[in-house]
Amino acid sequence: MAKEKSTAKPSSRSIWSGSITIGLVNVPVKLYTMIRDQSFSFRLLHNVDGQPLKYERVCIRDEKVIDWKDTVKGYEIRKNEFIVFKKEELDAIRPESDERIKLDKFISLLSIDPVYFEKSYILVPDRSEEAYSLLMTVIRQEGKAGLGKVTLRTKEYPAIVYAYKGALILTTLHYANEVTNPVELEELTKLKNPSKNEMELAGKIIKELSGEFDITEYRDGYRERIEKLIQMKMKGEIFVAQVPKKEEVKELMVALQETIKQLAK
Amino acid sequence: MRARINIKVAANNSLIFPHIEKVIMIDELTRVSFTNLEKVLYPELGLEKSDIIKYYISIAPRMLKFLKNRAIVMNRYPDGIDKEGFYEKDAPPGIPPWVETFNKYSETAQREINFIVCNDLDTLIWLANLAALEINITLSTIDNYETPDLLLFDIDPEPPCSFDDVIEIALSLKEKLDELNFKSFVKTSGKKGLHIVLPIIQSYNFRQTREFVHQFGKFLARESELVVSEFRNSRDPGTIFIDYLQNTRGKTMIAPYSLRAAPKATVSTPLEWNELKKGLRPEEFNIFTILKRKSDPWEGLMENKQSLEVN
Repeated sequence: MAKEKSTAKPSSRSIWSGSITIGLVNVPVKLYTMIRDQSFSFRLLHNVDGQPLKYERVCIRDEKVIDWKDTVKGYEIRKNEFIVFKKEELDAIRPESDERIKLDKFISLLSIDPVYFEKSYILVPDRSEEAYSLLMTVIRQEGKAGLGKVTLRTKEYPAIVYAYKGALILTTLHYANEVTNPVELEELTKLKNPSKNEMELAGKIIKELSGEFDITEYRDGYRERIEKLIQMKMKGEIFVAQVPKKEEVKELMVALQETIKQLAK
Repeated sequence: MRARINIKVAANNSLIFPHIEKVIMIDELTRVSFTNLEKVLYPELGLEKSDIIKYYISIAPRMLKFLKNRAIVMNRYPDGIDKEGFYEKDAPPGIPPWVETFNKYSETAQREINFIVCNDLDTLIWLANLAALEINITLSTIDNYETPDLLLFDIDPEPPCSFDDVIEIALSLKEKLDELNFKSFVKTSGKKGLHIVLPIIQSYNFRQTREFVHQFGKFLARESELVVSEFRNSRDPGTIFIDYLQNTRGKTMIAPYSLRAAPKATVSTPLEWNELKKGLRPEEFNIFTILKRKSDPWEGLMENKQSLEVN
């Protein structure tokens, strides 16, 4: 299979393994990330010595830094009023991954509004090549997508499974209540029906500008400019971060503690 | 002999603001009887004993607090730094009655030693008149002699290690001290090295402070090829020894703002940590430049006594 340029590299490890289940049929699969966010991230440094900064949890009352182990989760019911949850309480109700992509029915792939698409993953057969191939081929031919649900990490999602470039793809979907209905925006209630003439003119324009969908025509210009800048800076001065060697300093701490203890009169 | 030198001091006699000057006769200021004021002590610079006395008078407001209640060990150069000097723990004969002393049995000398204690300007001027160019202080005070209140990392390079190397090691030591939440103070030794000092609460013995510094030396020796932690390696060429041995009863360090018996009349100078950058040279801090420094980076030293417990 020819590799396409301008696509993201596959990741080396699957992030999940389980089965697609349709009724009593099981197709064992592994899940790979498909979407690689390419947006740029910078580390925040101190402008005096170029050392990386870290975030800390600071109490808003006395400004003291609070350790992770001294935190609990709170749900804000009114301003500054919280219901507190212990970790055990949340663990008890957390959805468990049952390692299944449970498909309830098959629908036309094109009938799904794109606004529901959340994130896509590549499914690969897990010693189930025959069944995998059969499922992929048949839903591609029928133009269908299997619709069901999956639990990834700690969240349960509606999801679809469909064929794309010789693979089965899992795309998680948003819940209905996560997507705003445009009708609720007032500006959209005052729309007028266009006239016949206007429609003809607009139709012509669209016809002239019609083309094929090719996502590679679009590039992230900001990212490219930053990459260029990085190349330039690499030739000049760069800050080398000195990451503190935490483990070793701990060793030193222990040695110092023992020194003080043992040599006390 | 009663000699006179003119000296410019601050109009309010506080000596802190050298730019507000008036000229007074020094013997209006002191009980010290001067001798051999024209004796040249730094031949390369042509500095006479009177210049040394002027220096110590001018620096006294910054320096005296570090000498306070500590046994003094003098390095005296009565014939100038080109001639042999000698170090003196004992108060010399003919000591004026107003000079404070501290009597202590010395195990090395196997006798009582009458240490000088320099708690006032007159004593400092008197020391200068003895050509005690280098003034050393103990790391404990006379009221609690067995218990250090200062802990010293003496960072001592052996050629061909440069002062830049010393700075690098000092900064990495400071980084570790910071990580362990210790507040540290740095000064030039006035010669080749740097001194890093932690003021500490008087709850530890010298074995503890000595081994504390030694542990840091061992740690840095693992991290850096330059650093050696053991005395037996301290003279290996191209190494930097984290000298912990001065943290011993009766041992001393050169006092902050003391002159050194070096050709350029360098001074052991307290620095701000951010002054410590590569390219800095210890010779920049000398008898001519030191008084122009606006403030004392060690100002809060004695108010920052800290525990050695690590957590």
